[in-house]
Amino acid sequence: MSTSNETMNCEQYRQAVGADPSLEDGADHLSDCAVCRKFRDELRVLNTNIARALQVSVPPLNLPELPGIATQDNVVSLDSRRSLTRPAWFALAASVMVAAVLGVQMLTVDVDNVSLANEVLAHLDHEPAALVVSSTPVTSRTLDRVVPANVARMDHSAGLITYARSCVINGKTVPHLVIQGERGPVTILLMPDEEIATAQTLDGDNTHGVILPVGEGSIAIIGAREEPLERIEKSVLSSVAWST
Amino acid sequence: MNSSSTDAARRQKFDRLVVVFHSDMYRYAAWLCRDKAIAEDVVQEALLRAWKSLDALRDEAAAKHWLLTIVRRENARYFERRRLETVDIDNLTASQSALLAEAPDEELNELREAIYELEDDYREPLVLQVMMGYSTREIAEMMGLKQGAVLTRLHRARLRLKDNVAQVEQE
Repeated sequence: MSTSNETMNCEQYRQAVGADPSLEDGADHLSDCAVCRKFRDELRVLNTNIARALQVSVPPLNLPELPGIATQDNVVSLDSRRSLTRPAWFALAASVMVAAVLGVQMLTVDVDNVSLANEVLAHLDHEPAALVVSSTPVTSRTLDRVVPANVARMDHSAGLITYARSCVINGKTVPHLVIQGERGPVTILLMPDEEIATAQTLDGDNTHGVILPVGEGSIAIIGAREEPLERIEKSVLSSVAWST
Repeated sequence: MNSSSTDAARRQKFDRLVVVFHSDMYRYAAWLCRDKAIAEDVVQEALLRAWKSLDALRDEAAAKHWLLTIVRRENARYFERRRLETVDIDNLTASQSALLAEAPDEELNELREAIYELEDDYREPLVLQVMMGYSTREIAEMMGLKQGAVLTRLHRARLRLKDNVAQVEQE
């Protein structure tokens, strides 16, 4: 849809002003075309009326019950808690403590896994602008900046990468990429420092995904619920290698 | 900064945003779902999600866009859960018809009905442009469309409404 003064004819002008009645382009065309002037004026009146018609009354604000939010200030780290509860008679009850330590380790792994999964899912809401359908790839320069060579090597075989940005997950800066899947955007988080023992499935309200263990790190892949992720998982795994 | 003062600052930030943008959130939701009761539910869910994710909002200048995007997602989630189908304008529920019932005059009532009957694909960009003041580029970004597609939808939406108004005037 052209809005250039030089090339605008009646049809082009009407399309442009139909999309935005406040359009100021096309003055040359308007000066010669009374019909389009009338069309524009009618659309401006219509637009004013649309704005009035859309103004529905708003009910009083009724805030939902807001849960407490864990912040760094009000959460004791797992490490601190572990040290606070470490028994002093460890050496005297070795067999009991081995079992206890194993238990704590297993519990810690679960807590960490849940926390990582929650962080990943929550992050999708933090950057809604990333989840757009697009056919425009990010530049190699952007990709190289977001996925620096000292963190990972990644080729373009994973798919059409339309978004690349450095984000913070679990306090660590990680590459956040979006590729275009069959049913829409698919988020990929490369987490070289988030080691997990086994793959974890992710289940959001209308998304699903997986966090895959890769060497000493992991990669999260999340798409719309109806997105088939298996092929993407394979191509991502084959296109990424940690540098460290 | 200790825990309670951090919490208080966080809450203040949230309250400030809600006071400023609650009306926009509600009106956007109302025109997305075309039902005042559902719009209230959607806004409640969106506020809850915004509260949980508030720390992600680093630039308050982007708050409106951020909140409306959350509303958009919550609306999609709502309908995904409920699987509600198309609306028959001659057979509306009370909260659906409430959206139409409050037009200030007859002419606007006809126009509001015409907007109500527009397909989602046409109604949403119109709401974002006329009511929320977004550019076509911003609308394209929010809706995951190319700008050309947004321009076409806006153009077609207005032509439909214009035809509708002309038809009513003839009657």
